[in-house]
Amino acid sequence: MSTFANYITLKYVSSTMANTESPTADMLRNKHCESITQIKPSLVIIGNGMATGRLLDEIIKRTPNKYQITVIGKENFGSYNRIMLSAVLAGDATIDSIMQKPPAWYKQHNINFLSGSEVTYIDNKAKVASLASKVQIHYDELIIATGSRTAKIPAKNQNIAGIFNFRDIADTEKIQAFAKQTSTSAKQAIVIGGGLLGLEAAYGLALSGVEVTLVHRNKWLLNRQLDKVAGVMLQSIMEQKNIKFALGHEVAAFESITEPNVDMKSAASSEILSGVTLTNGEFISAQMAVIATGITPNKALAETSNIDFNRAILVNDYMQTSDASISALGECCEHKQATFGLVDPIWAQCISLAERLCNNVQKPFQNAPVPTKLKVSGVQLFSAGDVEVSEGSECFTLLDNKALIYRKIMVKSGKISGIVLFGDVSSGMAYFELMQQQIIVNTMMPELLIGDEFVTTIEDEQKVSIA
Amino acid sequence: MNDIIFTDKQSPASITGQTISKTNCPYCGVGCGIEATVENNKVIAVKGNVEHPANLGRLCVKGSSLHETQGLQNRILHPRVKGKNVSWDKATSTIADHFKATIAQYGPDSVAFYLSGQLLTEDYYVANKLMKGFIGSGNVDTNSRLCMASATAAHKRAFGEDVVAGCYDDLSSAEAIFIIGANPAYAHPIVYQRMIKAREENPARKIVVIDPRRTASAKDADLHLAIKPGSDAYFYNGLLIYLAEQGKLDKDYIAKHCHGFEQALETAKSQFSDISDVAIACDIELSLLLESYQIFAETDKVVTFFSQGINQSSSGVDKANAIINCHLATGKIGREGAGAFSITGQPNAMGGREVGGLSTQLAAHLHFENSNEIDLVKRFWQAPNIATKPGLKAVDMFDEVNSGKIKAIWIMATNPVVSMPNANLVKRALEKCPMVVVSECYENTDTINYADVVLPASTWGEKQGSVTNSDRTISVHQSMIKAPGEAKNDWQIITDVAHKLGFKDAFNYQHAVDIFREHAALSGFENSHPLAEKKAEKDIYRVFDISALANISQSDYENFIPTKWPINVANPNGVQRIFTDGVFATKNQKANFIPIIAQLPKILPDKTQVVMNSGRIRDQWHTMSRTGRVAKLMTHSDEPYIAVNPDDAQRFQLADKQLAVLSNLSADYIGRVNITNEQRTGEIFVPIHWNDNFSASARVSALVNPITDELCGQPELKHSPVRIKPFNAVWSGYLISSQTVNCPTSYWSKIQLEQGHKYLLSDKQKLGDDETILANIYPQIDDWIVLKDAQQNVLRIAGFIDNKLHCFFAASTDLNLKFNSRYIEGQLNKALPIKTRFALMSGIDSNGKGDVGDMICSCFQVGEKTIQEAIKSGQCKSVASLGEKLQCGTNCGSCIPELKTFFT
Repeated sequence: MSTFANYITLKYVSSTMANTESPTADMLRNKHCESITQIKPSLVIIGNGMATGRLLDEIIKRTPNKYQITVIGKENFGSYNRIMLSAVLAGDATIDSIMQKPPAWYKQHNINFLSGSEVTYIDNKAKVASLASKVQIHYDELIIATGSRTAKIPAKNQNIAGIFNFRDIADTEKIQAFAKQTSTSAKQAIVIGGGLLGLEAAYGLALSGVEVTLVHRNKWLLNRQLDKVAGVMLQSIMEQKNIKFALGHEVAAFESITEPNVDMKSAASSEILSGVTLTNGEFISAQMAVIATGITPNKALAETSNIDFNRAILVNDYMQTSDASISALGECCEHKQATFGLVDPIWAQCISLAERLCNNVQKPFQNAPVPTKLKVSGVQLFSAGDVEVSEGSECFTLLDNKALIYRKIMVKSGKISGIVLFGDVSSGMAYFELMQQQIIVNTMMPELLIGDEFVTTIEDEQKVSIA
Repeated sequence: MNDIIFTDKQSPASITGQTISKTNCPYCGVGCGIEATVENNKVIAVKGNVEHPANLGRLCVKGSSLHETQGLQNRILHPRVKGKNVSWDKATSTIADHFKATIAQYGPDSVAFYLSGQLLTEDYYVANKLMKGFIGSGNVDTNSRLCMASATAAHKRAFGEDVVAGCYDDLSSAEAIFIIGANPAYAHPIVYQRMIKAREENPARKIVVIDPRRTASAKDADLHLAIKPGSDAYFYNGLLIYLAEQGKLDKDYIAKHCHGFEQALETAKSQFSDISDVAIACDIELSLLLESYQIFAETDKVVTFFSQGINQSSSGVDKANAIINCHLATGKIGREGAGAFSITGQPNAMGGREVGGLSTQLAAHLHFENSNEIDLVKRFWQAPNIATKPGLKAVDMFDEVNSGKIKAIWIMATNPVVSMPNANLVKRALEKCPMVVVSECYENTDTINYADVVLPASTWGEKQGSVTNSDRTISVHQSMIKAPGEAKNDWQIITDVAHKLGFKDAFNYQHAVDIFREHAALSGFENSHPLAEKKAEKDIYRVFDISALANISQSDYENFIPTKWPINVANPNGVQRIFTDGVFATKNQKANFIPIIAQLPKILPDKTQVVMNSGRIRDQWHTMSRTGRVAKLMTHSDEPYIAVNPDDAQRFQLADKQLAVLSNLSADYIGRVNITNEQRTGEIFVPIHWNDNFSASARVSALVNPITDELCGQPELKHSPVRIKPFNAVWSGYLISSQTVNCPTSYWSKIQLEQGHKYLLSDKQKLGDDETILANIYPQIDDWIVLKDAQQNVLRIAGFIDNKLHCFFAASTDLNLKFNSRYIEGQLNKALPIKTRFALMSGIDSNGKGDVGDMICSCFQVGEKTIQEAIKSGQCKSVASLGEKLQCGTNCGSCIPELKTFFT
């Protein structure tokens, strides 16, 4: 069965990738020969985002030849650094420069790489993944790494031209094209979402000369990572970068006008965006809108297959789903009620999974707190753990409103439970280590708040404080 | 402006170029000579004058910092009437008109002058002459009443005249020195260093300290007797008995030169059946008592060195006489290395006594008791209206101001609202007195707040005139720099008013030397030694005779070589010691033994009280109007404190380094508790210096009962029963500020820094919202850095103006936190890089070099930690080697007792 399945798969590859540099002949021969001589277990990875890229590295580092690996990716690219898309948007990076694993890399490592393909169904009894094209791929181990998509917002009229998501290269290119197109006439954009992605998108657009208004439903920016003080500081810095803000409200509806001279080839509708109406009734004029309100895990495969899910695909400490042969990884998985949006824990997931698959070692994944950084030039922020003071914890703050420097450390039971730094993040990693290692820090306060170097100078037995 | 304030004559120092002047220190009674370097109308450096007999080149930390007290900060620049600047003409007319009208309506005793041991002799002379000679009232008294009156009266009783017989050289040649009621290590460092040096040269020499407190002087003594406060006369009466019993009397001397010995001894014996009773009365071990008595009895050359601990007592005159009795009884007086040496607190207490600055004296060591003496002065002054009876002594004087009998008072160079007993009564009295004139140099005195007329006076370096120190050495202060604004010399101001009162002829002085000559002439007027060949019938003998200087030239006066009086035909170069011939200034030329019934202080504590003792600390002077301006003088002790014995701390639930409140007479004193075995149980010590300009509630004298010695009117400042309780602060902190501020807290204490001030703060009420705490004090600041925790266990706020640090506030609800702000102090007024300035909030520089610990050596700013490191490194194994390496202790030597503790 397995040999056959492989064969089918590869045949399909040869037909669909006829236009690309074809690995087909070699691959066919190799796989066929292997299937005859020694059949390797089949490891199939659905999704080709950053998690997959890292997982491949971890596997190859450990056991380059243990599995016959197949990677199925929806985008027509190899693995790239999605985090850098905002830099691409800002013009600080190019698509080429963010490519990490071009198709040749897969070939070089003997990996079957199916780009532009999507798995629609998993038959976990038969251990077969079905593609949209009805092609079926057998697996011994299956990994779902389908990532996430832009979260939906409840606004009306979302089908108007000029409304974009900001998740992948295609989105980025569309936004760039639109920004260029509108730059001669009107150049107003709405960015919806005051999280990391939204801020980065807004910043990128502003740099390309677009007049940006960022709409965020919370009262301050990055409300998951920053408290109000830091959020307001961030806002003032972003305002200096020519970004306007409409905070505390959501977009109720996108508004359109009929464009008489619209190019019929490029626009499906003659209705084009004229702006948004907020929930408070305010209208903001814009020719483009970027939705960056957050992410929704792509769990559709679990829904249609026999795999447990909640908000996302449920995994245990070893990244296994409710089916022991199927693992999940990255933004599509849910571990102990947590879902993921930052790379650091996902790297840890990759390691845990690689250890199990390659070395049969049970290395539990631990979802350690992750510091947040924003990739906007001139903005330094660092956030980890708690953002707001919780019951029974102490909270030390340092605020310089003129220099726009803010530091906050929350201490619970003597240990750091949260860090928010703005404007100067020089001790961020030191705090983060103290937090992760659960070091008792209350005797170091408040000097620690000013900088870890100030603690070492007064660690004498006679601690003399200035207050 | 009608008045020319300065002529070249008054300000002879060149205005530009560098000159060196020989002058004197204006602080304590030691009267050290100084060489001052002047440049561009500023004293830029001072050092000890090696030729001056008082100090032979040494200076203490206060004297060494004199040039730092200059500057316009807080100087009064113009005369004021009712708060408005006026011309000198207007100011002096206002005074003269008011005094004239008051005298016309209520008589001369309705006006008064209250003077100061800070005045120069010429100022003193003119003020005394005006009041006693021409206004016709005895109401001239001086703050020397709080300081020296007991010794003055005791000298008069024993010797017939107020004479300190010995000299500082005796402190070097004495074989034993009994220091009683004095802490010269702090209050008179230069003579103290002399004693210590002499003992180092000959370790057989003994220093015995008799003091309830274990003071810095006591720590370095061979024997310390921590007697019960006020039991001094018991001690010396006991000694007299011991000397008699042990056959250690100098019977020859007693017989030849003294009077009344038997009665004195009998009186002493009447209080004791046995020497052991003395030990009980003094509350010390008998063996210690006998050991000290034995030293006195068996040492040939003994000096008893005494000061305020004897004088400031309800029986201070008796105490001083009890001391003198023992010296007379053993002939340990009037010769090298022996005598009862009274040291004054102030630089010119002696000069004041010489001209009659006390209301009980007339002038030139003449008195009201004898009408011939009044007549002598009357004729010399040509003053038909001369007063014929003593005036009011300080405490009585302010009582009469309060009662309304005195309706106009002129206060010169002193701060009675801080220094007088029951000081709040003084405050009330001045509030209601129709005319209060205050001659002052500085705005920051508490008394000035009650003045109707404020007169700007010149100060050290600006004014010229003579002073007499504790060993009769007359020196001349030099006018080296121009006084600022319209400030004038005190004698000039008094002279101007005298003219307007209609006494132009008698006050026709153009220069200080004119006054000095008259003073010298008066001292020799009809004055001849009782054994002199040429002797007129009406002559009245006074040892104080400086008539050889009656015709001194201005140049000789300005270059006067310090000389001990008498300076007359017989002794043109002065006299080292008096009474060497056993001839005293009494009628029968014999010294008087005074029978003494020893007495304890008048008001003893009840069970709820402790006894408050008060005194000087090392680096401050009086009410701090000068020394409080010098940053380094604040580093040794920077806050009003209360020294408490551990037993009392427990009894009254006081914690070390926390604040406590003392109460008496409806007044409070708030100070920091210093728990120490240096205090006896039931007794506390507080420094006298702090006042309303420097702290929230630290005018010690407001808690002092107005109990005085009946004989001399000196108040019992050393013994005040008070209540003590914890302040119960809920937070403490400090504020460093470029500007002076009014602190809204119930406790604050101000400290001068090199730049700006530091305020130590505490309150019984919770800190308010951190946003508004400082915004109310500094409405002009909108650039703040705030570091805090939610509970305000930590709160630090820095305020900036134009990126420069303007203020820094740190507070905590953790009262035990030790504060160290030295690094921050150094950053005040500095422009800091905006991106890294938040690091300031750590209070240390990133190299951690900000903290040198508590300041030990004020002169060279050497801190505790620096010293500890030097010792730890093995480089320094002695006080001397610390001095070599760090310089600490090598200037004034005041910190040497503390340096020694590092090695014990």
